[in-house]
Amino acid sequence: MQKYEIMAIVKNSLDEITAKKVCQTQILDKIKKLGGNISFEDFWGERGFAYKINKQTWGYYFLAQFELDGANLSEMKQELNLEKELVRFLISKVEKNAATPRKYSEIKAEYEAQEKKKQVENTPKEEKKSTRREKLTTIKEKESSPSPKKDDVDKKLDDIISQSSEGI
Amino acid sequence: MPPRPKKFICTFCKNTQSPNYKDPKTLAQFITYYRSIQSRFYTGVCLKHQKKLATEIKKARIMGLLPSVRYEK
Repeated sequence: MQKYEIMAIVKNSLDEITAKKVCQTQILDKIKKLGGNISFEDFWGERGFAYKINKQTWGYYFLAQFELDGANLSEMKQELNLEKELVRFLISKVEKNAATPRKYSEIKAEYEAQEKKKQVENTPKEEKKSTRREKLTTIKEKESSPSPKKDDVDKKLDDIISQSSEGI
Repeated sequence: MPPRPKKFICTFCKNTQSPNYKDPKTLAQFITYYRSIQSRFYTGVCLKHQKKLATEIKKARIMGLLPSVRYEK
């Protein structure tokens, strides 16, 4: 009995609940029928692709580890190829001493926590920059002369017009 | 004579971790700007792990976790 790992992508036109059912019925039940036993399973959920696959941009990812005879594996692959709900799947061998993979939800939560830390570290720097800019703007405002008011402009214009009309 | 010190230390040997297609974030460090696999000369990974790295990147590409070409929008 060799240990294998399967990763599969389910269509994004289905709901999340039905996508889970598809994984259960089309993959895990098939392994049990062929006399294998499942040691690990994990439903990743929605995830975007790096490139378009069948004109789709995202799908539901599913991962499982199981033990099966090598002779039955080809039979399983043939049956999986006929399923219409599966976009793609990949079966690979697992080493005997390899540790059990971590759950995807744990990895995702860890990554989000790291990103939050980075954001907190970056925020005070931006504030410092803004204060400097504010200082510069205040200095510039002081240096520049105050803009002329509307009434002054009107008076001046009237004066000019009267002078020019007198000359004529 | 004392043995010559090694220039590069393989990152996978250091962390006692072999490359895996399930974490594309670490694999993304070993591909170029145009998303092709970087050679051992530039990555500084030992031969054993570089061979595994190449296969794992190819697996990740099949499952849509890593790109094989750089797309410009």
